Amino acid sequence: MKVFFTACYFFCAVFYSFSAQAVSEITISAGRVEHPQVDAQQLAIKLNLKKTDLQLRLNAAVKQKTGKDWTQFSLNCELPRHKTSAKCMDGLLKSERLNVPFSVEFSHLYSGSKPDVDATLKFKNASFSDEEGLHAAEKLNGSLAIALKQSADAWLWRAALDWQSGEAFWQPFYIANGGHQLTVSGRLENEFLTFDNAYLKVKDVGELKASGQMRMGDYKLLNFNASLPQLDLAAAYPMFFKPLLEKTAFAHADVAGVAALKLEIENAEPKTFELRLKDVDIADRSGKFALYKVNANVPWSYDEAKEVSFAYEHGELLKLPLGNTNIQAQVNRYALTAPNIKLPILDGSLNLTNVSAARSGGQWYWHLGAKLDAISMEDFSTQLNLPKMTGKASAEIPLVTYAAGTLTTDGSLVLNIFNGSAIVTRLTMQSPLGIAPKLNADIALRNLDLGILTSTYSFGAIEGKLDGDVKGLELQNWKPVKFDAIVQSSPGKYPKKISQRAVENISALGGGGAAAAIQRSFLRFFKQFNYGKMGLSCKLRNDVCEMGGIESTPHGYVIVKGSGIPAITVMGYNETVGWSELLARIKRVTAGNSKAVVN
Amino acid sequence: MKKILLGLMLLGTLLASQFVVAAADLEVNTPAISAIKNSMQSRHAQLAPFYASGAIGLTKDGLIAVRDANAVPLAQRGALTGLVKDENADRSKLYKEIAVANGHPEWQPEIQSTFAGRWIDKAQSGWWVQGAGGWTQK
Repeated sequence: MKVFFTACYFFCAVFYSFSAQAVSEITISAGRVEHPQVDAQQLAIKLNLKKTDLQLRLNAAVKQKTGKDWTQFSLNCELPRHKTSAKCMDGLLKSERLNVPFSVEFSHLYSGSKPDVDATLKFKNASFSDEEGLHAAEKLNGSLAIALKQSADAWLWRAALDWQSGEAFWQPFYIANGGHQLTVSGRLENEFLTFDNAYLKVKDVGELKASGQMRMGDYKLLNFNASLPQLDLAAAYPMFFKPLLEKTAFAHADVAGVAALKLEIENAEPKTFELRLKDVDIADRSGKFALYKVNANVPWSYDEAKEVSFAYEHGELLKLPLGNTNIQAQVNRYALTAPNIKLPILDGSLNLTNVSAARSGGQWYWHLGAKLDAISMEDFSTQLNLPKMTGKASAEIPLVTYAAGTLTTDGSLVLNIFNGSAIVTRLTMQSPLGIAPKLNADIALRNLDLGILTSTYSFGAIEGKLDGDVKGLELQNWKPVKFDAIVQSSPGKYPKKISQRAVENISALGGGGAAAAIQRSFLRFFKQFNYGKMGLSCKLRNDVCEMGGIESTPHGYVIVKGSGIPAITVMGYNETVGWSELLARIKRVTAGNSKAVVN
Repeated sequence: MKKILLGLMLLGTLLASQFVVAAADLEVNTPAISAIKNSMQSRHAQLAPFYASGAIGLTKDGLIAVRDANAVPLAQRGALTGLVKDENADRSKLYKEIAVANGHPEWQPEIQSTFAGRWIDKAQSGWWVQGAGGWTQK
């Protein structure tokens, strides 16, 4: 009471209502009470002395000095005479965004002259929210038991929270229902809160045992030791991990399986942790990646290097199937290295060498060498819904670097396809798993077998070899937006024959005309022709392709230059073609919907 | 005299910024831009009821923000904040890509503020928009 009266700075009115004979009731009212942290108004304290047990009724409106909303507070207490216990009912804290009906029972408040509180607070149908609604709870039912006593220089405390029902949203986490318990005990000494034997049970998710020490001034966790022996990821992932991974590739994934986690913080720095995954399945909802039956042991220590193992039975990445994989790596503080990682893909495998990754300033940096052992192009094209290709592809990149979202390759990526080679140089990629991935590269094609190529794309048979150069290729969302490309017959001596259908298709790409000419002339009697050279170029800018051939003429350009007998020359007349129109033409041609073939 | 000079300077900067925006093709299309626009379009159906209820509003810097989520059931608030984050990531990327497609990555801030005005102009009545003085309902 003394504290209370000294807090009456501004205006205080105190009324004692005495009856004629004995004091039966004491009423204290105050219009406004000010305190450095809290303001109170319409304060009313009624003490009824008539009954065997003292009755105390408290009513007030309170607010924090810095806040603007008043909170109504009321509570009725029974204080049995000659006992240190008390029972308070009809408690209510109410404001615009707060409604907490509660009761509280004190089994004792003092032992001797020292505070020794043992209380149980029960709340029923409680709700609260901050102004934006990002920290809120509704229909909360539960109890909080608190014990607090002074011992020498420290306060010893014990708390048990039983969250029976109700939902809560604490950005970014949402907990749909109750059934969770927390028990914890410890001591408060100076500004350090020590807790041991903390035990948290989250329904359907798992149990956490922890101990540690917190500095109360800034709520910093100085020391912490925690263990989650069995975490059900199907329940824990959407509740606790997904909200934290909102901006990563794992934001829209479904996860199932079991994890175990141990964590140690010392002097406010992470010291060790150990994550174990057991038979975990993780699958992106939009099908960008999936890993099944992941078993991993990821230890980490600030002081010493640790061996990491990560294995999965199968999976897929951008629709390419990944086979059984077992990765061993060494983790040394914030860097990870592995001399060799073998990732089976389709019927071949991707071998990564000298892998080194580091995290710094919230960004990942890594580099590695990569070698793709022959994979079947037939499987590859089927998986990616491309026209069916044949043969095998293999590739090698001496150095791949990834820094802050951009992937760069040094040296060249050599793909062996269509009995020739495709050499990709200056390859860079930005956010390959993001919404608008970008790719830049130069591609050189050498000695591709036109026989295999044209049968793959049902273009009409051409015999010969093809070279191509695509410079300054830029893909956005895997679609070309810019390049300078030229494809032409490879130099050298080899049989060069082109079928009538291919002639028609090529001329259809260049804007037509030739097909009709063939059909009108004697040439229609020949199924195939000889050619000396062929070539087509396209310079793509702003969705328009500027086309050319192997030679320019006053009226157009030469696409196929005939040679020998029967020879044919195919001309192109469209200097510019819209890129989408050209794609439509290629599609028509390869879908076999071009004009009927005359045999 | 000082005032006139200041006025002229102000006019100059205004004209200059107008010039930049006038020169920028805001309707430019690239596969990256259309991918971002598609993603924003498919999200819009989910965002529309939140605009209407006032849970979210359009900010003066061309993004969106949670204004008052109290009308939204608790179970949906995580999804709501996730949608806002995703939308803002797309919007920032959109402004960047339009600037890049115009060949002037440095125009991004002007493009963003032009879009901010556009979004607010196009906002349906009843939606909350952020002006110089805070949130107002259209």
